[in-house]
Amino acid sequence: MGDYVEALGLVFQWHVLLVIGGGTLLGLIMGALPGLTAAMAIALLLPLTFGMPPVMGMGMLLGTLCGAIAGGSVSATLLNIPGTPSSVATTLDAFPMARRGEAGRALGICIVASFVGGVFSAVVLSLLAPPIADFALRFGPAEYFALSVFGLVIIASVSSKSLIKGLVAGLIGLLIATVGTDPVAGVQRYTFNNLSLLTGVNLLPALIGLFAVSQVLKDVVDYFGGGPVEHSKNKMDHARPRWLETLRYWKVLLSSSVIGTIVGAIPGAGGSIGSFLSYDQAKKMSKTPEKFGTGHPEGIVASESSNNALVGGALIPMLTLGIPGEAATAVLMGGLMIQGISPGPTLFTDNGSIIYGIFIAFFVANIFMLLIQWFGIRMFVKVLQVPRKLLMALILMFCVIGVYAVDADIFNVYLMLGFGGLGYFLNRYDFGTAPVILGLILGPIAESNIRRALMLSGGDWSVLVTRPISLVFLLVAAAFLFFTLWQNRRQTTPHS
Amino acid sequence: MKKILSVLGAATMLASSMAMAADYPSKNIQFIVPWSAGGGADTAVRAMQPGLEKALGTTIVVRNIGGGGGAVGFSRAVASKPDGYTVTIPTNATFTLEGLGNVAFTRDDFEFIARVLVEPYVMAVRPNDDWSDLESLVNERKASGEPLRMGASGVGSSTHIVSLMLARELGIKMEVIPFDSGSAAVSAAMGGHIDGVVLNPSEVISAIDGNRLKAIVTTGEERSGVLPDAPTMHEAGYDFELAQWRGIAAPKGLDPAIEEQWVEAVKQMVEDPQFQKTARSIGTDVSPLYGEELDQFVERTSKPLIEEAGAIRQ
Repeated sequence: MGDYVEALGLVFQWHVLLVIGGGTLLGLIMGALPGLTAAMAIALLLPLTFGMPPVMGMGMLLGTLCGAIAGGSVSATLLNIPGTPSSVATTLDAFPMARRGEAGRALGICIVASFVGGVFSAVVLSLLAPPIADFALRFGPAEYFALSVFGLVIIASVSSKSLIKGLVAGLIGLLIATVGTDPVAGVQRYTFNNLSLLTGVNLLPALIGLFAVSQVLKDVVDYFGGGPVEHSKNKMDHARPRWLETLRYWKVLLSSSVIGTIVGAIPGAGGSIGSFLSYDQAKKMSKTPEKFGTGHPEGIVASESSNNALVGGALIPMLTLGIPGEAATAVLMGGLMIQGISPGPTLFTDNGSIIYGIFIAFFVANIFMLLIQWFGIRMFVKVLQVPRKLLMALILMFCVIGVYAVDADIFNVYLMLGFGGLGYFLNRYDFGTAPVILGLILGPIAESNIRRALMLSGGDWSVLVTRPISLVFLLVAAAFLFFTLWQNRRQTTPHS
Repeated sequence: MKKILSVLGAATMLASSMAMAADYPSKNIQFIVPWSAGGGADTAVRAMQPGLEKALGTTIVVRNIGGGGGAVGFSRAVASKPDGYTVTIPTNATFTLEGLGNVAFTRDDFEFIARVLVEPYVMAVRPNDDWSDLESLVNERKASGEPLRMGASGVGSSTHIVSLMLARELGIKMEVIPFDSGSAAVSAAMGGHIDGVVLNPSEVISAIDGNRLKAIVTTGEERSGVLPDAPTMHEAGYDFELAQWRGIAAPKGLDPAIEEQWVEAVKQMVEDPQFQKTARSIGTDVSPLYGEELDQFVERTSKPLIEEAGAIRQ
């Protein structure tokens, strides 16, 4: 208790609050620009924290992380460009809603759902971190494989029009995921002696290409094809946080926040699938699953609450075990270690006030995220008043800069343009691009883990069903698959 | 006459190089980190950055050129002009990449300026009734003939290669399982899915402090500053020594006068108590080495790594 009081004193000083707010704002801006990831934003600010006390420095970096995730949703909503992989699921409903002229409403829902998800995960982080971390440790190779199979089943659910076409798109993703050095034997596959492909196809250029560049291509074709170019007809009075509308879906909010936190806490589970899992789950629970994908608020709520809950979840193994789940938390952990604080179980006993200070700073960062977006929402929507042909040129420019900045490697830019072409055709013929991303993220996790699992079991496949967590995931995956097929059938039969 | 000419020639060369060195550095220096932000090398460079900037009196721009497990960034670094405005961070990966045969550069394409930080490899295992130290572990495994299942940080990484070398040195069977990262391997070991890991101390220090893993042996010349209780291979009676290191290198052909300036800058940086504190915090030991001694160290370290990595390739 004394630690908590001391921690409050560490956070509630005007200069600490100012720094957290500044970090959040910078994160929002960087997250909204395609290609600039949360990890890069944090790495850029890292040297600034060396001279700060630990809670202040970590507060700034946590603000940046929260801001970057939230900012990624702004561009996902307005432009169909997910700023980060975890906002891909947001594009599925938020962008159609924005296209209808309700961008303000879509953002308003995003803001509230993000805030709820973020705060939920902050509560879980401060109350339940150690037991959740212990649960996460029970994930061995077999469990990771089962989890990724479970994730791949979602392809069936995010395929908007035709299940077969969705599966084809998912398989394209899995196929591309085989490029690179074999994760266990070290043999090169489809790298064509290109150094940039040694570690496989980089996810970010693929993401930006499939979503942003393909959208630019579509608009260019529409523009020159003389087709209807949509003009902004956004009603500004919609542009405010939509508290009631969002909280009405409290069940979705709650379940998505839980899913986001837990998936976030499992290190290396491909955090970004958390928002897909929540979206899928919300669709299955919904009374109106057919509305998903057409600009349905429930879909936005599911994805947004989940991807912000991921952040708190990802902090759990990092702070309690010293295991960062993905790039952004790895940079955060580097920041902590430079401060002379080694994350892990001893952190709670040796540096109580600091760890509680970090929890409180994370709460505060979520509040800043809400406030900044609250005041900024009208400005965000105005982006759509920029004539579309200018906007598209600007977007393409930001995409090129952002993707080049990832590794300072021009090959990634070519890769992005290639994926842009692929994405354009996939969208045009209703295959969809979200399944490709799922395949790309989950393929390597599934492959390397099944091989590790078999190495450990001496080639015995039964490990997949004799380990309880693995068995549960595989059974649930099978049940979900049948449920989706059944739901699809029920939806299509009346029309045929 | 000839003699005078050659003296003159040498003198002008010296003068021009001095002139070049005299106004060095006159612009920003780019420090290529061949991995994305957040890894051990990246953290090390960001820790060195303030001290080097102060000593050299210029701005250092850290550029993360990731891709290919370091292959892209190192290739870019050796292809740069050796004018002192492009440097990179050599590690054991520089040698393993060469050994794996995926890259066009060799260690001779670098001008190694300094070794700054070292950290040994550490073998850390889950606490177990059957073994409490290296000796009991080796005896138990030799008696049972069962392989020890150890996680490393990636296929072809130096931890992977060192694991294989350790198995041979200890005379036990070892199954090395490459994970996607060091932390993924640690998490599998903590969860009991594998017996232990071979990694660098900074990656396992949290698990060891939390009593979830036990460090049983390290591979450095001396004991690691952050794991003072774990004996070295030498102390355990084996003739084996190999450490991960991080330093500064430029492309081959760097002006000796500029190299000298860098060496001075590094010497100044390592004296700074703030830097020493930071280095300790990230789990490494400050152990600077320059010139002749550095070249010997590079020779000694690179040879076995390149050979062993070449064997994986087969």
